[in-house]
Amino acid sequence: MEPHPPSPELLHGTLDALILKTLLAGRRHGYGIARAIEQATDAVVEVEEGSLYPALYRMERKGWVEAEWGTSELGRRAKFYRLTARGKRQLAAQTAEWARFASAVSRVLLTT
Amino acid sequence: MTFFNRVGWRPRVADEVDEELDFHIEMRARDLIASGLDPAAARREATRRFGDLRRMRGTLRELGHGRDLHMQRTQYLGELRQDILFTVRQLLKNPGFAAVAVLTLALGIGGTTAIFSAVYAVVLQPLPLREPSRLLLVGEIYDGQPQVMSVGNYVDTDAGVTGFESGLTALNYANYNLSDGATPERVVGARVTANYFDVMGVRPMLGRTFTADEDRPGNDRVVVLSHRLWTRRFGAGADAVGRGVRMNGATYSVVGVMPASFDLTTDSEELWTPIAFTPEQRAMHDEHYLTVNGRLKPGRTIRQVQAELDAVAARLRHDFPNDNPTLSFGVVPFAERFVGDYKTRLLVLLAAVALVLLIACANVANLLLARGAARAREIAVRGALGAGRWRIARQLLTESAVLAVVAAAFGVALAQWSIGAVVAWSPPDIPRLEQARIDPLAVGFAVVVALVSSALFGAAPALRVSRPDVHSGLRDGGRGSTGNIRDRMRATLIAAEVALSVLLLFGAGLLIRSAITLQRTDPGFNPRGVLSARLTLPTTTYTEPTRIVDTLNRIADAAAALPGADSAAITSYAALGSGGGTNGVLPEGKQGPHNLINSTLRVTTPGFFETMGVPIVKGRNFNDEDRAGGRLVTIVSQRLAELAFPGQDPIGKRINCCVPGPDAFKIIVGVAGNIRSRGPAVDPRPEFYLPLAQAPGVVWNWFRTVYVIARTPGDPSAVFKPLNAAVARVDPDLPLFDVRTMEQRLSGSLATARFNTLLLTILGSMGLVLAASGIYGVIAYFVSQRTQEIGVRMALGATRGAVVRLVLVQAMRPVIAGTAIGLASAVAASRVLAGQLFGVSRADPLTIAAVLATLVGVALVASAVPARRAAGVDPARALQAE
Repeated sequence: MEPHPPSPELLHGTLDALILKTLLAGRRHGYGIARAIEQATDAVVEVEEGSLYPALYRMERKGWVEAEWGTSELGRRAKFYRLTARGKRQLAAQTAEWARFASAVSRVLLTT
Repeated sequence: MTFFNRVGWRPRVADEVDEELDFHIEMRARDLIASGLDPAAARREATRRFGDLRRMRGTLRELGHGRDLHMQRTQYLGELRQDILFTVRQLLKNPGFAAVAVLTLALGIGGTTAIFSAVYAVVLQPLPLREPSRLLLVGEIYDGQPQVMSVGNYVDTDAGVTGFESGLTALNYANYNLSDGATPERVVGARVTANYFDVMGVRPMLGRTFTADEDRPGNDRVVVLSHRLWTRRFGAGADAVGRGVRMNGATYSVVGVMPASFDLTTDSEELWTPIAFTPEQRAMHDEHYLTVNGRLKPGRTIRQVQAELDAVAARLRHDFPNDNPTLSFGVVPFAERFVGDYKTRLLVLLAAVALVLLIACANVANLLLARGAARAREIAVRGALGAGRWRIARQLLTESAVLAVVAAAFGVALAQWSIGAVVAWSPPDIPRLEQARIDPLAVGFAVVVALVSSALFGAAPALRVSRPDVHSGLRDGGRGSTGNIRDRMRATLIAAEVALSVLLLFGAGLLIRSAITLQRTDPGFNPRGVLSARLTLPTTTYTEPTRIVDTLNRIADAAAALPGADSAAITSYAALGSGGGTNGVLPEGKQGPHNLINSTLRVTTPGFFETMGVPIVKGRNFNDEDRAGGRLVTIVSQRLAELAFPGQDPIGKRINCCVPGPDAFKIIVGVAGNIRSRGPAVDPRPEFYLPLAQAPGVVWNWFRTVYVIARTPGDPSAVFKPLNAAVARVDPDLPLFDVRTMEQRLSGSLATARFNTLLLTILGSMGLVLAASGIYGVIAYFVSQRTQEIGVRMALGATRGAVVRLVLVQAMRPVIAGTAIGLASAVAASRVLAGQLFGVSRADPLTIAAVLATLVGVALVASAVPARRAAGVDPARALQAE
């Protein structure tokens, strides 16, 4: 049987963590977030626009990120997202959770 | 911090979504072009990556709206929390202010709630009957009011009037000796016509009510139980229906039980039996004792049934000219008669307590005004730091709300306590008062009044400070700019408080004067050391008049022979209690119904006058020669003597009463002092006395209950046990009831008036104390604000006296104005008290003078303290300050 190619789809809940992590370095607009994730994962993870923006709006509501309007690097007005204190705590929690999950899965898959 | 973040441009959600997505697509396209795609393909690809772009827009708009709503709410709650925390901190910093404001408001809220709850329970709460507004009491007009009816008149009226649903119903209260099973018990019940329950609009909870068949003589040994009696004596068992009960020596079978809601008061009747008129009774148009009610047919008016009643009355006057010479009928709503004159009294109390609430609000307004001035600088600073007016206003409103809510909590606790106190201390006969509960509507109303007034006076002036310009507020420490307006407002509040207090004190003063006059009024008898009790002669065992008279004489003798008794008597009626009927008395030589003098009759043994301490002012007392079959004699009261034989010696004259024929004439052998039989507040009515030995047999149809009275040198209640034993030796089946000393009956008759006086006095004092503290607060504030000015004046040579005068004049101006307004309105408003006043005019000058002196005196004292402080100002230090 031919092995399936690695799924580009993100595991549930991981997108939030990736977005938050991207914002840790400073404020970014939506497209900037998508690009940053693609670059950081060598395009292994492709962020779908269809999931990115709903995720951002939801996180805004939860108070993990704050939005503000500013000028983009090319001089256009753009909506920037910034990590809040609560977002930082959320990122820490999700990172820890991911580490626990990944090591558990690794133990199963990588043990000979 | 959110506060400052919001100061930025923020697009509508739809624009936000569009702009954000457009930006994204453009950026993506630009990158794709850079990697080699042609512009059109790049744009297509960038758009494609969103999938269905229109759906995405929709989803995001929805999410955006939800997000904004959520954030607004969060921000609002966050600010509210801030405001509340800030307020609590502020109040804790000023515990004196907080305590005074909260307690003042709590007093107002609690008082209003408690009294309103009482008014609601007694007056406003609808009766638990079907459509109680259609229920009317119908009666023969006597003393200007519809009263009881005779059986004949009832029967003919019921047949002659069409305006009532299920006809008219008649009721006659009766006493029942329950003697089955456990301890014998005497209960108050009522004999009613079969349609009684239909007319009242209640259905039995168990079983049924009476059939028309059972409402006939010989068929009538059935009984309907009240819920109370069923619970107390039958253990609330469903098997009570069908059981037999021994009552008044006969066996009745229980056919039904009424629901608990039909126990209208705690002392209403406890059982009902059919009234079962005999044909003789139905033909009897004299002897008036039936309480008659009717339920208006839907669509019929009182005016219509009154017209029908008038027609029947005219016919009865014509058909029975001897029994009904002046007959007319009247109706009054059942609820009105049920509540009685407590309505006016309670509404007066409610008005009084509302005045106290207003005074409390004025006081808190004054406190807030003073505080608003002191905080002008703080508010100006906050304004300068960028807080919007709305935000500042919200902060101040929060403060008012916190005060009002905390005060409401205390107020409800206070109301709970005072309802208990009111119920416990009130006279026992106020219907339904014991059902008083804290009424949420009243609490809400009082809180809203407190809230609005504190918001009005707390926030409005402070906002004035914040608006015009921040700079002046900062510059002069928030003292100058609006000081005059606030001073005027404060003076107006003081004048209003004083006026309201005058209103309260004047009302209380009039009631106190009435109470004192009542207390001093001679009731016409000496209540000290007199014990009274009642007993009922059962119709089953006491049928023969001679047996009745013989038994009663033996009881009177036995009572008089008791070691603890100086004298004793049997009388059909003593005073100040239930019982006692009236008869038309015709002086000899006069004719016609218009010469009848309606007089209270007492059938007594000779010991009555000595025992009650009623003097025989002329002629003689009854004695042993006034025997049955002898010359018929009577004693009349002074009042009756004056009315019957004005300017003549009544002794030896004859009066005609009570029975037709030759026995109608009685010769007057004595004149007795007047008795205020219906209480000290009611003028003596004409009265006359017949010796028990000569009582016409018919009187035993009029009353079966008599009083045993005994005078003792010591404590009258000590005689009860031996008296009870003595009566039991004569007939063990005659239990004594309603045992009370005459002093108890006298104070009981004054209890309602005294209770009202007490409450109004308490409310008046509360108003006075609040007004005094208000005056003190304002003057103290005035002095503290003018310290500098006073210093300057003193430096320029003003004497201490002049400074004191300055302060006092400032203080007394609104007090005098308020007193004048208050007195004018008090004299006008005292009309509502007219029914409660006794021996004092509505514009009693003594009360006016007393109120004036009290208020001005209290105001002087309240302002003297700050005035002295002002006079003690050290000019040098005052000028250095700031």
